Amino acid sequence: MSDKEALLPGTLDLLILKAVSLGKLHGYGVLLRIEQISGDALQIQQGALYPALYRLEHQGLIASDWGISDNNRRAKYYRLTVAGKRRLGEEVASWNRIASIMARSLAARPQET
Amino acid sequence: MLSRTIARMRSLLGSVRRRDHLDAEMDEEFRLHLELRAADLVRTGLSPAAATRQARLEFGGTERHKDAGAESLGLRNVDGLRVSWLDFKLGFRMLVRYPGLTLIGGLAMAFAIWIGAGAFELARQVVSPNIPLPDGNRIVALRNWDASRSRPEARVLHDLVSWKANLASVEDLGAFRGLQRNLITAGASGEPVEVAEISASAFRLTRVPPLMGRALVEADESPGAPDVVVIGHDVWQRRFQGDTAVIGKTLRLATTVSTVVGVMPEGYAFPVNQEFWVPLRLDASSARPREGPELSVFARLAPGASLGSARTELEAIGIRATRELAETHEHLRPQVMPLAESIVRVNGWFAIGVMSMNIPLVLLVILICGNVALLMFARAATRETEIAVRSALGAGRGRIIMQLFAEALVLGGFAAVIGLAAAGAGLRWVMGVVEAEFLEGAQLPFWFQDHLSPLTLFYAALLTLLSAVIAGVVPALKVTRGGVARLKQSSAGRGSVRFGGIWTAVIVAQVAVTVAFPVAAWFVRRDARLLESADFGFPAREFLSARLEMDHDPATSPADAATFATRYRSTWNELSRRISEDPAVTAVTYADRLPYMYHPHRLIEVDDGGAAPIDQRWPRGYRVTSASVDPDFFRTFDAPVLSGRAFTMADYSSSAGPGDVVPTGGTGGPVIVNEPFVRLVMGNRNPIGRRLRYVDFEETPTPEKAGPWFEIIGVVKDLGTAVGADVGQAAGGDPKVAGLYHPIAPGASYPGHVAVRVRGDVDAFASRLRRLATTVDPTLRIYQMMPLADLTASDLRFLDFWFRLVLFVSALALVLSLAGIYAVMSFTVARRTREIGVRVALGAEPGRVIAAIFVRPLMQVSGGVILGGAIVAVLVRGVTGGFGATEFAYATGYLLLMLSVCLLACIVPTRRALGVQPTEALRSDA
Repeated sequence: MSDKEALLPGTLDLLILKAVSLGKLHGYGVLLRIEQISGDALQIQQGALYPALYRLEHQGLIASDWGISDNNRRAKYYRLTVAGKRRLGEEVASWNRIASIMARSLAARPQET
Repeated sequence: MLSRTIARMRSLLGSVRRRDHLDAEMDEEFRLHLELRAADLVRTGLSPAAATRQARLEFGGTERHKDAGAESLGLRNVDGLRVSWLDFKLGFRMLVRYPGLTLIGGLAMAFAIWIGAGAFELARQVVSPNIPLPDGNRIVALRNWDASRSRPEARVLHDLVSWKANLASVEDLGAFRGLQRNLITAGASGEPVEVAEISASAFRLTRVPPLMGRALVEADESPGAPDVVVIGHDVWQRRFQGDTAVIGKTLRLATTVSTVVGVMPEGYAFPVNQEFWVPLRLDASSARPREGPELSVFARLAPGASLGSARTELEAIGIRATRELAETHEHLRPQVMPLAESIVRVNGWFAIGVMSMNIPLVLLVILICGNVALLMFARAATRETEIAVRSALGAGRGRIIMQLFAEALVLGGFAAVIGLAAAGAGLRWVMGVVEAEFLEGAQLPFWFQDHLSPLTLFYAALLTLLSAVIAGVVPALKVTRGGVARLKQSSAGRGSVRFGGIWTAVIVAQVAVTVAFPVAAWFVRRDARLLESADFGFPAREFLSARLEMDHDPATSPADAATFATRYRSTWNELSRRISEDPAVTAVTYADRLPYMYHPHRLIEVDDGGAAPIDQRWPRGYRVTSASVDPDFFRTFDAPVLSGRAFTMADYSSSAGPGDVVPTGGTGGPVIVNEPFVRLVMGNRNPIGRRLRYVDFEETPTPEKAGPWFEIIGVVKDLGTAVGADVGQAAGGDPKVAGLYHPIAPGASYPGHVAVRVRGDVDAFASRLRRLATTVDPTLRIYQMMPLADLTASDLRFLDFWFRLVLFVSALALVLSLAGIYAVMSFTVARRTREIGVRVALGAEPGRVIAAIFVRPLMQVSGGVILGGAIVAVLVRGVTGGFGATEFAYATGYLLLMLSVCLLACIVPTRRALGVQPTEALRSDA
């Protein structure tokens, strides 16, 4: 566990949006998908996933409905809404911009200042 | 932004709706997560028990996640808003603990709800009445609408037959015509009553069985059947003293003696307000289109039919009739509508107008509750410690707000019960005034009820909620502003709550209202006084006045009308002769209107123009009132002609009335004007020989349309033609409306008024007059018989009620104001106890300390008095037309008086502040 990175504040919502953008998922499925796409490198507080899911649903970025899971149990499936898709695009662009700014800033050398 | 807000609102509403299931859903979701995780862990080699434990550890506390989840869904504030039974219990306790606030606040809220609910019920009964009969709202009226003349065509006998035969969507179709007839009593004097000549089907349709005997049946309608009558409950009680053997007895309606066959139960007055029902005998078989008597048609919607389907069916019949009876029915459109709508026509705009009367009353409720809120705020502020403790124990802002809301709701609930209990009495009064003032003593249709409908009770509940929100939530929001944390920091005796801008506005407004209302009450009282003391130079108590009408069918031709006019005139002449023979009678006169009565206004122009300035509200001419009077009029009222000459016999035979059609260029004849006319129209010039004619309020007359010229031949004193129009000014002897008189032959206008001057007991002569009239002609009906001086009685009652109402509102405003000022002052002293103590301990002059502390409340009260003074000035200007030095002096004195009254409320808090000891101040800081 200790080799995993702690999540930066505010990034869980972005990861959830990304995860459900790849297909309909139940709560545990979201967790597995994030672990999968991050190469199992991010440490996620499992219980904290659900308040985040509810928050995104409350904001209309994801929607949910009840279905049947692989093990034949009732499960709540989440999917991306149109508003969520738009938000995901904006967030990704913003993230990339900040990441590149950060990378550039941190790569600065003494003669460049 | 908007779509996000909508999404959140939708999510919140959904979550609130599913609040009870939400926990279970979260549990189910978490459980699945744990099971799947445990299964994955088992696959990595852990034992099932260890895997389950590990899964739980990784997940964390489910309750914590559920709380966080609820917060994510925006439910936290909603959960905080839940009201508990304890809040209401506390509310009850507060009622007892603060009796002053309970009494004042409760009374104010009760008054607000009383007015609000009463007015709403009245408006509802006008706009969408309920017919209080079994399934009454399915009773409909049918009529023919003449599209070419834009009015109903009531001669529908021919159509009635066709409708009866062809309409499947209605049943029990019948007709009636409302008649006024004299009920001739044993002493042979007549009492006018409302009679319905009605189809027997009406009793089937209304589904109300008679209390005794039978209803009318079809056999009663056949020609030659015995004359029978069904009577109402009131008549049975009044006329037959509730005799249980009344069936089979006879009564006389004008010239017809009928046998009583049934008594209807109390309150039955179908179709409008009748209490006698006689069979409608029609020879429908020989009825030709658009001929026969004028009838109103009613029916009940058949089972399964709707107003819409009946309309469609009737329209189809109407279209066929326009084809088959093109000559008479080309422009006739048959219509079907709810019964009430056929009597009280309510169109869309009228309905909106009536319902919008409720808006100012809702504002009144808000204003009154704003005042109660001030008191509640002061109370909440003194309970700051209690509130702080509650929040320290974990109550969120929502919980505290809901607690104060529940307390206000308990107070509002009590107030609503009192207000609604009184609403019935209010409705009865208003209906009584409408009947006396606007229907000339006739009754409102039977569906106007003096009790509140479920819809109004619901509306009252909403008003109560609104009151509780204003009186409870607004102060709570202010007290808890800055968050619970601030409350926790605050301590007793050094509260941090302040009376801010909103309360300043409330205090200023309520003081202004307190100042203005007594002035309004004074003006109403003054009007009543002036009206009571109205004196036009003749002994009004010696006069008996009455309106005369006579049975007749609506004239279908000018010849019919002329025949009736001749019959009426000769009947009047005979009655007049017999009245004069009575030894107690000294004079008798006939006119279309008598002194003290309301005289409608008209506009005139004078040849060569009048000399007095024209009132710019009616720029086309001078506003006047007119009456048509017989030769004895001026002599009877002790009003000799002051200049010019009196009417001569020749004038009576040749004159036109104010409404008569005279050939263009013809003369209307002579008129006599009163003294106010000379002043208001002629500018005190000599009016004799000048000519005048009536003009339209709306448009300047074209030569073809202009009426005849009337020549002024004489001047008489003012005989009260302006009473009722300018109550007060008129009665004060300085009317603002001029008056003029046209000559008519006795009995030449219908209906007319008779004034009899009696020596001795006027009331004793009244019963003789009824008998005389019935002897001369049983179809001669006498209405509104009363001493002439009592003609203003209903106006006086009206003014009296207004006076009481305004006085009550004034008292309420005063009490609320004083309580509000007292609360603010007490609160200020309590909050600044420490400061006062320390200042006094340091040697400050008590007077200066008081001044420094009370400067703000005093400014608020003074602001209110000044604003109230401005309203008073506008009011005085509006009523008296000016605001001179006298008015200014009176107003200043009054305002100073009101200021001192308001400052009375400061005495106790000031004394308390002066009595603050330094030790006490320090203790309060502990």
